[in-house]
Amino acid sequence: MKKLEEVLKDWEAVIGLEVHAELTTLNTKMFCGCKLEFGADPNTHTCPVCLGLPGALPVPNKAAIESIVLAGLATNCDIEKHSMFYRKNYMYPDMAKNFQTTQGPVAFCMRGHLDLDVDGKAANERIDLGGIAVGDSGEAGSTAENVTVTEDGYVAHVGIERIHMEEDAGKMIHVGGGEGRIAGATHSLVDYNRAGTPLIELVTQPDLRTPEEARLFMQKLRQIYLAIGISDCSMEEGSLRCDGNVSLRRRGQKGLGTKTELKNMNSFKNLHDGLAYEICRQAEVLEEGGIIYQETRHWDPSKKRTIVMRVKETADDYRLFPEPDLAPYDLSDEWIEGVRAKLPELPDQKAKRFAADFGLSSYDARHLVDHRETAKFFEDCMAQGATAKLAKPLANLVINDLYAYLNANDVSLDECPFTPARAVELVKLLAEDAISSKQGKEVFAAVMEEGKDPSAIVEERGMKQVSDTGAIEAVVDAVIAANPDEVASYKGGNTKIIGFFVGQCMKEMKGQGNPKLINQTLAKKLNS
Amino acid sequence: MTTFGSMDVSSIQTGLTNKEFSAREVAEASLARVEASDEKVHAFLEITRDLALRAADRVDAAVASGNLLAAGPLAGVPVAFKDNMNLEGTHTTCSSRMLENYVSPYTATCVARIIDAGGIPLGKTNMDEFAFGSSTETSAFGCTSNPWDLGRVPGGSSGGSAAAVAAGQCTISLGSDTGGSIRQPASFCGVVGIKPTYGTVSRYGVVAFGSSLDQVGPFARNVRDAALAMNALAGRDVLDCTSQDVTTDFLANLGEGVKGMRIGVVREFMEAEGLQPEVKAKVAEAIAKLEEMGAEIVEVELPNAHAAISAYYVLGPCEAFSNLARFDSVRYGYCDPGHKDLGGQYEASRSKGFGAEARRRIMLGSYLLSSGVYDKYYYPAQQVRTLITKDYTEAFEKVSCIIAPAAPRTAFKFGEISEPAEMYLSDMYTISINIAGNGGMSMPIGLGAETGMPVGTQLIAPPFKDENMLRVAAALESVYGAAPVAPAFADGKLGE
Repeated sequence: MKKLEEVLKDWEAVIGLEVHAELTTLNTKMFCGCKLEFGADPNTHTCPVCLGLPGALPVPNKAAIESIVLAGLATNCDIEKHSMFYRKNYMYPDMAKNFQTTQGPVAFCMRGHLDLDVDGKAANERIDLGGIAVGDSGEAGSTAENVTVTEDGYVAHVGIERIHMEEDAGKMIHVGGGEGRIAGATHSLVDYNRAGTPLIELVTQPDLRTPEEARLFMQKLRQIYLAIGISDCSMEEGSLRCDGNVSLRRRGQKGLGTKTELKNMNSFKNLHDGLAYEICRQAEVLEEGGIIYQETRHWDPSKKRTIVMRVKETADDYRLFPEPDLAPYDLSDEWIEGVRAKLPELPDQKAKRFAADFGLSSYDARHLVDHRETAKFFEDCMAQGATAKLAKPLANLVINDLYAYLNANDVSLDECPFTPARAVELVKLLAEDAISSKQGKEVFAAVMEEGKDPSAIVEERGMKQVSDTGAIEAVVDAVIAANPDEVASYKGGNTKIIGFFVGQCMKEMKGQGNPKLINQTLAKKLNS
Repeated sequence: MTTFGSMDVSSIQTGLTNKEFSAREVAEASLARVEASDEKVHAFLEITRDLALRAADRVDAAVASGNLLAAGPLAGVPVAFKDNMNLEGTHTTCSSRMLENYVSPYTATCVARIIDAGGIPLGKTNMDEFAFGSSTETSAFGCTSNPWDLGRVPGGSSGGSAAAVAAGQCTISLGSDTGGSIRQPASFCGVVGIKPTYGTVSRYGVVAFGSSLDQVGPFARNVRDAALAMNALAGRDVLDCTSQDVTTDFLANLGEGVKGMRIGVVREFMEAEGLQPEVKAKVAEAIAKLEEMGAEIVEVELPNAHAAISAYYVLGPCEAFSNLARFDSVRYGYCDPGHKDLGGQYEASRSKGFGAEARRRIMLGSYLLSSGVYDKYYYPAQQVRTLITKDYTEAFEKVSCIIAPAAPRTAFKFGEISEPAEMYLSDMYTISINIAGNGGMSMPIGLGAETGMPVGTQLIAPPFKDENMLRVAAALESVYGAAPVAPAFADGKLGE
């Protein structure tokens, strides 16, 4: 099979996502008062309503409606004032009533969009944009649809068709077969704790063109949902789930190819890799003259391939009709504005503010807000009296060292001893040339390990950087005197050999010499 | 032993207050009366003896404390519930094999309100399977007889509840009405039956047939008892978001008479083909009596009411198809044994668990909602619904109540009507009210000249103005008298 970059030279992938988010931050289910809790004993959070017992009726959770409207406002959707619930009829044991309460043609949120900043390596997958990434300036005003080319990449404008409200089904557990799969199972168990969990489904327009864009979209959506506090967005536990629809067409063609639906992409990596595999698979089939069948496929991350789950020969007929037990909704402007007033600062707004207030590049600002935890940490640092001059090094510390550390050790910020005050202290030490950047890394690691202030660690380890010009000059003179051959080589034009002198000086000073001053002094002396 | 069969609420409560008898005696005697009479009537599917005695003891405690009504406005009144209403610990079968062994883990709001009001629950009553029918003949557990003629049907679908009141087995019973299922059996059995405005009584715990049409209401032998039951039943329930904050006192204007009241008559209804002469004559007589009492009779038009049955047989089955989908044999209900695949188990269990009429309506609804068909039927039916509602709105600009037949005929004999389409015409006068959502009731106005069977007239009120029809009903009752227990079950006839 060809690699993705090869495939994308000839083929354009058309990708749309369907993203389900459970509103896990609510206290109760969508249509009854049962508690929402992950991991409780099976069927302990159930009642006549979520068990679909004869005679039970749904009562909508108002907080859930507020959550979906928040989600719609945060993703630039129009909020439909008049909408209603529908019944989607299909029989399956995880659906207690044998119909799912969902929405019809008009959802609470319609016609939204999100802009994705794609830069650095991430932009590479857009072959059609002419290799705009990695320092290449690219072609401004590209003709590609829904894309604006920027200095270091491009912005993809991704349309959102709708976000609608629905209830989750129960959870089936198949017993007796392999790996909990239904094939070969002797019987199945159903846990209705999840039945009736409020769920919002976002459907994008088919505006995504690369697996990377799909991954970025999900990341951004997750940031937004976390910022507005409607879900814990755990892809692992399934509170944020994503299905992808993907089809291919020859570059330059307008029509759409037959799509396949991809499931089980329960991490950002799986989303990217699953789509990438499927694009390559479809290209291979098409290039060999084969046909793509409209089917649902399952991404198997261990085998790194997608497998057929079921073939859709005909469209499912869900016999959708308005739910007579729930009155149509009539949202007032006042109510919608009241919800809008509850919108917190969204990641995009925060990035803009960081850039404006602290003089950061938009790249740094965007990456700072990638994670709410670290963004807040950065803001706390700035509130600790860090000067504007320290913003850039602080941002680097947070984006590179701190986030990498948290990720590598799988810990959260409040679990580690690196406080904003300590971060500011460390950055100050670096800015004052009191320690070298190499020493800075050591101090960072030591703070994490020992839980002491950076200044204390510097003191204890005698790490003070020597910036005394007299002391440095003495060492430089000694090194020059001791290495006449190298001096001759330098003077003969081999200026690169200056690195050798720096190394020798550092060795003499046990690594504590200020590298900048050593460099300057060496250059002065050798060139004189 | 005192017989309580023919007693109304007020005479029972007077006897209790004066300690002529205890509530436990009322309960015991009523249970004995049900036992003695039900071989003939077969109104009951389950007797709730323990619950009845427990409720009676609570009433007796209130009497002992010197205040009977501390036990509620229906203190000491024997009651029965249609078997589509959940009552914790008892069966809720909906007269279907599908739910033959289903025991409710919770209680419907309407049932709870009647018991909380002091009612003594005697048991659950027979009905057409899942309320699909107009004769109670589709019950999987045998037919109920009309107490006025055991060879005739009691009407339906709430036939058991209507018959129980007509036979004096209980004083008040509850039914549900989706297209006429309270008013038509009330008419057939010669008792008062009220279908309140949609949203007046909570549907929580009542097994749904057509969710947008279903409404619970009482049967009684006089208007005051029915109004007392309405007072207990009506009002907002947080568990049914279609229920409304109704605070009407249904007793308030029963004595006001109809003088000066404008009451509507619909010419198409009175001249419809299929309206039996004996019914037409009695309804015309009732109209004349109202006029004599000073009401102004005004002709009103309901130009789209003729389309009600067609719209109903689209909307009803569509909602029923979906509401009955949960009866899939997996967690409860009839399960055909021995199937290795889910589809096979579904198919066999549902084929065997549901009766013919239920299967017919499920299949009809499934077809009507399928893609390509939906637009041709469901959507136009909703448009008809809008038109009929508009007709009523305009009619009620001219009058405050409408009088009409409740059913085109008196009770028919078992097996007399076998064609579904002919059976559906039983509800020709009642269905449009469910479609529009306002209230309607059947009021007994004597016996038909030909069959000698009870005739009911229907009174129709504007939405949430159900007190208007009760006012007219009370005026008619002053002429015709309260409904008697059917002669064969009158006091002393059961050897008490």
